[in-house]
Amino acid sequence: MTTAFIERSNRALADRNLKLAIDRTTGTARTKRAAAVAAWPQFESARDLGRDIKDHVTANLAHYLSEFERNAIASGAHVHWARTAQEACDIVIGICRAEDARSVTRAKSMLGEEIGLPHAMADAGIERVETDLAEHIVQLAGDTPSHIVWPALHKTREQVRELFLAHHTDPGALATVEAMVSSARRQLRQKFMAADIGISGANFLVADTGSICTVTNEGNAELTTTPPRVHIVTAGIEKLVPSTAHAMSLLRLLVRSATGAELTQYTTFHCGPKRVGDADGPEAFHIVLVDNGRTKMLTEGLAEMLRCLRCGACLNHCVVYRQIGGHAYGGTYPGPMGAVLTPVLDGLPIAQDLPKACTLNGLCEEVCPVKIPLPAMLRGWRERAWRDGLEPQTIRNGLGLWRFMVVRPGLYRLATRIALPAIRLFARRGWIRSMPLAGGWTRHRDLPAPAARSFMDQIRSQGR
Amino acid sequence: MSQARDAIFAALGPSQTQSADILRHADALLDRVAALRPNRVGDDLADSFLARVTGPVIGASGQRVTGVESVPDAVRAYLLAQDQPPSLALQPHAKLLSLDWSGIETHHAIAVDEAVAVCFAPYAVAETGSLVFRSGADMPVLFAFLPLHHIVVVDAASVVAWLEDCAAIEASRATPRNLNLVTGASGTTDIEGALVRGAHGPAQLHIILVDPVLPPAEKLPSHVPATPDTSR
Repeated sequence: MTTAFIERSNRALADRNLKLAIDRTTGTARTKRAAAVAAWPQFESARDLGRDIKDHVTANLAHYLSEFERNAIASGAHVHWARTAQEACDIVIGICRAEDARSVTRAKSMLGEEIGLPHAMADAGIERVETDLAEHIVQLAGDTPSHIVWPALHKTREQVRELFLAHHTDPGALATVEAMVSSARRQLRQKFMAADIGISGANFLVADTGSICTVTNEGNAELTTTPPRVHIVTAGIEKLVPSTAHAMSLLRLLVRSATGAELTQYTTFHCGPKRVGDADGPEAFHIVLVDNGRTKMLTEGLAEMLRCLRCGACLNHCVVYRQIGGHAYGGTYPGPMGAVLTPVLDGLPIAQDLPKACTLNGLCEEVCPVKIPLPAMLRGWRERAWRDGLEPQTIRNGLGLWRFMVVRPGLYRLATRIALPAIRLFARRGWIRSMPLAGGWTRHRDLPAPAARSFMDQIRSQGR
Repeated sequence: MSQARDAIFAALGPSQTQSADILRHADALLDRVAALRPNRVGDDLADSFLARVTGPVIGASGQRVTGVESVPDAVRAYLLAQDQPPSLALQPHAKLLSLDWSGIETHHAIAVDEAVAVCFAPYAVAETGSLVFRSGADMPVLFAFLPLHHIVVVDAASVVAWLEDCAAIEASRATPRNLNLVTGASGTTDIEGALVRGAHGPAQLHIILVDPVLPPAEKLPSHVPATPDTSR
């Protein structure tokens, strides 16, 4: 594995606060999701339906894109197209400049992070106000999100308190999490009302109405998209659904898988600018449809990944994510879904370690609400890295040696018979704290001692 | 049309399927929904809705009153119980404007730090405990997001069973700028996963479900607010 990933992982593993912070949020998320799923006996059939809806859209993407575009334009929206992250940012910055926008509020969107919108806005000198509480924390810390649903999951309450004391105009004592949330509410209220432009993402693009759907629990999306005179949406082209009814089926799956609730507090469909006579709402509505590798995924055998609803369940259940957190992955998307997507977005030479940082225990696929075969896709990237010659020579030599042994079972058994007692010399009470060649593992955790006799020996002695 | 648009459609290739077949397939997918929806809805839709919305997960408060004329009294009682002054932002909806609000100062321009707003929801969804708002001249979107206390009046007879019923109703109407499904008060779990209410939107949601006046009027049970779920 390349040193950058190993360094980031080692830093994360050495950070005890991080482990605690990850455990607190993902633990609650797993418990609540399990309860929500247990209360829905037909959950399995619902996952099949979710998968089939998304696959239907992917198979007919051109049809639904043109239908969405037609209906969005008919509703008064401006529809823009971007092949790349750069094109998407240029379009958004262009609209901000044309509107002479000084202050822009933004409701959390992973697509916005993916295309690097925060950086592009900073470079253009436009004030960006993140309104999702977690993104607000991340922005104050000069940080990046570490989870796709809880971007500030890596921060403890003590760290949030320090940030708010340093940056909020009227923080008070901030003795409790409630006080911190109130302080952020006061801090952001005026920003919502004073913004020239509000930017959001979209959880769904509804083809038959030209609407876009956002889901939040805080209500920050609507406060971002209503008061400013312009609302800009950035969305990946895979977010399409045929109709509002199809969106409802996916919402049932998305919310339960993400937070364990049955529906987010605020589920809003936005269609066109404000109508004549409307009491509030933006005068202009822009939708930027972004490819950024998605059409390439269709042709490169990664179409199933376009089902992803960005619920974060695979992160919460991943034994690797739960140890190293999101930042160690080094891309926009962490965890199992990130390990599949990052090689597409950043290139396999840079991201080849991510598919390897996986135990293939299959939990991510088990909890995925749209049944994405994540382990199979991760194995696909590993094979591709091998074919492309990206593996370092030491790994290739090691695997060559291992292959030499396993195709000669007698030799392999002899080797294990010699190795087992040798390894067990390092064990104390069933655990190995350190051992030559195993430092990478034992630096942050103990290694379980192997059984005294190999599986094959045990079977043989039982007379089978 | 833009170069980027052309390039994206070129990458997708020409559509292999006739539009009619695509629509048929999309409809067929929806035929499967009724058999797999979570069993959430009893015979009395309004009861199901109120039970869900006042249950531990959503944690709103709610009550049932008879006749829309009883709404101002219910609001007065709420303000008293919550120790709020008799002043509120009243959504400029005909149904609310026609009521007798004497004793309460009402205004229709909502303030940035409005304490209390009263809204009328055209309908609600029993399955999820959601109130549905459609933006328009008589429904400013911000009424559902700026106040600290959000009081919502909804007719018991207007409660529909499923999210698909909401989709069907909307498919038959002109699409508004915003269709807002509101399911409980604003909340966040962004700091260590702990649930805190009133993140940006309302900290409290109170629902007044209105039954029609029937002769002879039968008294219906009122629901007490449940303790909010603090485990999140």
